[in-house]
Amino acid sequence: MGKKWRAIAAVIGGLVLSLLLPAPALAHGVNIQYSSDTEITILARYDSGEPMAGAQVAVYAPDDPSTPWLTGICDDEGYFSFTPDVSIPGTWDVQVRLAGHGGMLHIPVGGDSTATSGGVGGYSYLQLGLMAACVIWGSIGTAFYFRRRRPA
Amino acid sequence: MKKKALFIAIPLLVLVMVLAGCPGGGATGALEFYANGEDFVRQGFVSKDGWSIQFDHVYITLDDIAAYQTDPPYEPQSGADISGKDTVGLNGAYTIDLAEGGTDAPRILVGSISDVPVGHYNALSFKMARAASGPAAGYSLIMIGTAQKDGQTVEFNIKVEEECEYQCGEYVGDERKGIVAEDGTADLEMTFHFDHIFGDGDLPLDDELNMGAIGFEPFASSAQVEDVLDMTEMHLGHVGEGHCHCGCQ
Repeated sequence: MGKKWRAIAAVIGGLVLSLLLPAPALAHGVNIQYSSDTEITILARYDSGEPMAGAQVAVYAPDDPSTPWLTGICDDEGYFSFTPDVSIPGTWDVQVRLAGHGGMLHIPVGGDSTATSGGVGGYSYLQLGLMAACVIWGSIGTAFYFRRRRPA
Repeated sequence: MKKKALFIAIPLLVLVMVLAGCPGGGATGALEFYANGEDFVRQGFVSKDGWSIQFDHVYITLDDIAAYQTDPPYEPQSGADISGKDTVGLNGAYTIDLAEGGTDAPRILVGSISDVPVGHYNALSFKMARAASGPAAGYSLIMIGTAQKDGQTVEFNIKVEEECEYQCGEYVGDERKGIVAEDGTADLEMTFHFDHIFGDGDLPLDDELNMGAIGFEPFASSAQVEDVLDMTEMHLGHVGEGHCHCGCQ
């Protein structure tokens, strides 16, 4: 290896090292973090407008509709807050009950708020794959058909 | 060459047709339909106007019972008709006695379907219809029993002719219902809140439920049922604690 290449290797090595080594701690430093989680707040009231204070709340994630993902109680004004796991997109269901009466709230979370099952436009991924295969097969067949008819 | 192409094309065509006709791979399970008059009917209760009510029989006739998988979920407040991607239903009308059995009797199995597509049946509709025959012939609801207050005893036999259609969302209660897994069994429940008619003596008189209820006093004074009982306003049919859209005539 010549001097020129050794110099280039030394410069690159120095740059990599400076990126890998931790920066020195500074006095009066601050640690500011943020989270992109979105909190959802529900307000539960009777039709009369009276808050459902102390109502039982059960939150169900889209991937397990049978088991509550979270349970809790509404505050005195009927409010209840939670932060859904955005990695589980779909419709989150929130059940609120008090004294023999209750209701279910459906909250879309994530990119495709209406998606509740795999597939697009009512078709499963298997059906979509088969349709795509049929289109490709048809195109190739058509191409071969016209190629054969071309005069020699 | 042509034969070879046919050998490939025909099975593939059949496969596509089968898959297109059977979304979800055709997996099925069982769905049971129950009716429940709750402890109000089984154990009796005190009305908002102080009458202690015990039921001997509560005959109700249920017809057009259907369950749906809806997406987005059906909202009964909308008052719209339910439309689901999968709909299953019981054939015929069923007259049942909600007071059947003792004070701890289980809810009543109305019927079941053994091979429904898997999924979450999150909407239910049913009709309270006039019975064509049997102990409740000519009526949609008959309540037979005894009411007592201040040493006075009244034997009542309240007959309702009105027919009501109920369109409900998801069951609301201790556990979620209607989730059918492959080869599994799930259930749905038509729940009837009789405290909506008579009120509840355990609640204040100005409670919303008691404000809407008529109590027992009008029946004690032998008033005509149709003069005092508007079934649309009573909201008798529920799914657990969940409300239904109701229309009666």
